[in-house]
Amino acid sequence: MTAKTAVEKPATAEELVKLLHEAAEAGFAVRPVGGGRAMEMGDPPSREDIELRTTALDRVLEHSQADMVVSVEAGITLEALQLQLGKSGQFLPLDPFNSPGHTIGGLLATGWTGPLRQRFGSARDFLIGIRVALPDGRLATAGGRVVKNVSGYDLMKLHYGALGTLGVIVAASFKVFPKPLHDVTVESAQGSMDEAWGDVERALSMPMAPAAVELFSNGRVVARFLGSPDATKRMVSDLGWAKADAAFWKKHAKAAPSTWARIAAPRHQLRSILDKLGPDQDWWASPGIGLANWAVAGTSDDIRAVRAAAVAAGGSLVLLAGPADLRRDAGAWGTPPATLHLMRRLRSAFDPNSVINPGRFVV
Amino acid sequence: MPLPTSVLEELRRAVGREHVINSTNDLRIFERDASIEGAMPDAVVLPATTSEVSAVIKVAAKNRIPVVPRGAGTGLSGGAVTIRGGIALQVTRMRKILEIDPVTQTALVEPGVVNQELSLAAASQKLFYAPDPSSQKACTIGGNAAENSGGPHCLYYGVTTDHVVGMEVVLADGSVHWVSGDAPDRVGLDLCGVLVGSEGTLCAITKIKVRLLRTPPSVATLLAAFPTIDAASQAVSAVIGQGIVPAALEMMDSVTVGAVEAHYHAGYPTDAGAVLLVEVDGIAESTRELMAAVRKVLAANQGYALREAQSPAERDLLWAGRKGAIGALGRIKPNYYLHDGVVPRSRLPQILSAVGVIGVHYKLPVANVFHAGDGHLHPNILFDLRDRDVLPQVESAGEEMLRAVVELGGALSGEHGIGLEKSAFMPWVYSPDDLDAMRRVKDALDTNGIMNPGKVFPDPERKVPHLAGRSGLAIEAKWW
Repeated sequence: MTAKTAVEKPATAEELVKLLHEAAEAGFAVRPVGGGRAMEMGDPPSREDIELRTTALDRVLEHSQADMVVSVEAGITLEALQLQLGKSGQFLPLDPFNSPGHTIGGLLATGWTGPLRQRFGSARDFLIGIRVALPDGRLATAGGRVVKNVSGYDLMKLHYGALGTLGVIVAASFKVFPKPLHDVTVESAQGSMDEAWGDVERALSMPMAPAAVELFSNGRVVARFLGSPDATKRMVSDLGWAKADAAFWKKHAKAAPSTWARIAAPRHQLRSILDKLGPDQDWWASPGIGLANWAVAGTSDDIRAVRAAAVAAGGSLVLLAGPADLRRDAGAWGTPPATLHLMRRLRSAFDPNSVINPGRFVV
Repeated sequence: MPLPTSVLEELRRAVGREHVINSTNDLRIFERDASIEGAMPDAVVLPATTSEVSAVIKVAAKNRIPVVPRGAGTGLSGGAVTIRGGIALQVTRMRKILEIDPVTQTALVEPGVVNQELSLAAASQKLFYAPDPSSQKACTIGGNAAENSGGPHCLYYGVTTDHVVGMEVVLADGSVHWVSGDAPDRVGLDLCGVLVGSEGTLCAITKIKVRLLRTPPSVATLLAAFPTIDAASQAVSAVIGQGIVPAALEMMDSVTVGAVEAHYHAGYPTDAGAVLLVEVDGIAESTRELMAAVRKVLAANQGYALREAQSPAERDLLWAGRKGAIGALGRIKPNYYLHDGVVPRSRLPQILSAVGVIGVHYKLPVANVFHAGDGHLHPNILFDLRDRDVLPQVESAGEEMLRAVVELGGALSGEHGIGLEKSAFMPWVYSPDDLDAMRRVKDALDTNGIMNPGKVFPDPERKVPHLAGRSGLAIEAKWW
């Protein structure tokens, strides 16, 4: 980041889109920033003249308890939103790492998730409407405020995980969920890695699947069951693991290695990749999803070797944080997908001069 | 307009002589889907492989001929209607289930595989495919993916897009691509996500990989009667408000119940103003607890004659009534126009009352059978095509109902798609800038404009909606 970077903090979506448009007209590069929890995700931007912060856009626009739908501005933090929803016994099932402080817009743009994805899917699955500021000065809405909607293209999917490259997210609507009737955390007796992977498979094959299962490089396995009281009780007793403190999850959500790689693979191939990391490396995984987070202690060659294994399995390795030199050297994204030229066409349809996050995303 | 002989010859070379249909009599079969409006294709082409699909689209691209992918033709919004003529790309010869993998719990299928066939094939592995449109005995997975179809069990399990892991698609230049795949968090933009539900306007789908779910060990299905639709709607809100999300939560009004009972003898209470069909599934403890809670809420909200299916056969019968409801309505009038719209769940009483008023105004019987848990409405306008001038009345009534849906903060379609039927209404919910953003996606991927033209986007050359300008209400982007 250069010292010349100007910081803008618009108070409304209209103000934001105006700033974005002016920047685009003047040929400035814009980095949208929410909570600043994923600043090092991706390749170091080739330019950043203006930092466009969304944090003043922090209102809950509408929460209908009966409809279980909420619309928010993009700069609201996940915690502030949960507080509001909690008053009605509802929540958004997102528990991203490097918490607290993520904004909703940031979570949508980065696609970051946490352990609860095992049960609820990612925000991709419960994002029902989106409003985006485009570099040409327009505000465009897609989707709506109802839980089922096939009116027009599902642009929510395109913006999710696009790091803002198709427009800066200014507002979003979600389907929300009732807080579970019962919430139990259990932990297996820690043993060898072989035993730990066995425990993971056993938890995942329970007739009522766990809402989360996390595996750590030291062989620790923690699982969470959500549901009706008798049902969760039976799962816990059938599994026979020790009850653990629910505070574990909040602590776990703070995890954020300074050099951090996300490994994704088809779920049954994740282990073969993690086995390659060697016993001296720290990582944790959501094996039921096919995701692992690696606290990289190694060189860009090490990263490339693990990435090659992930790619061979049909997956990927993406750098979520780390020194700029390392990210530049290893590449944050790896080999671009075969459909890159189609993605580029979409990007240039929305941001023809690569004003937003130039050089940072794969597209 | 008949295709030039040279083009027909190219198509025949691509798929074989017997798989190109161009005689007027035979083309007539492909004139419509399950919606109201029809149009004749210039040719129907039946490819058997991805490379044949690609070859057909290359011929179309070279000659600038529209291509309209078509599965079973059960769509309800005119998505498969060749409104600009051209080629109906009929995929029903591509109907192999290529793989069911019990370890990864996925299936790889060709687009012509019938929805229910997949669940039947997966049953031996104790797996099932969750999206279950009422037409599941006929509709295809390819059509489901193109329309992002739903079904009663989508309340808990989600719609088609939530179950598509990846697809093989052919774009307007004939190029073949895999989008998405088995691993999560793929690098780059989510092309698969935007192609599902794009109604054939961006690509033809040639393979679909879908997620299969484990068959729940226990299922409980309950039928409950209510004195009025209002009471039943309140009960729906109350169930959800208790934090219970059943697998399915369906409502039928008295018109529907009468027809269904006469046809199926499923034991539906014919004195009721409305009935709810509630299903919960999971492990035995869970269904027992949830069903007990559901019963309590329903009883506290004027529910009566609560009847829980005691056997799989009884459960099937209850569902036969629901899934066969549209057919049973033929007892009242020979034709129907099934509409589709979604309102915020709490607006159900208001929208149902508006639908009733509109039906009375146009002197048309309306039967409601729908996914109440999602606020997903299906007003079914009943009529007899032999009545003179009835069709414009039916269309106007449908439009007014949709308008009411939008005015209550709802969406034009929850699962049928926009297609031809609702494209003119898109400006009711989306501003010109919103539509422009969607148009950019269309132009970026369908570079020569041949993929299912005349759909989804409002067509200035087509009819102006009857109601446009009448109320002058500005509804667009109301939800912000």
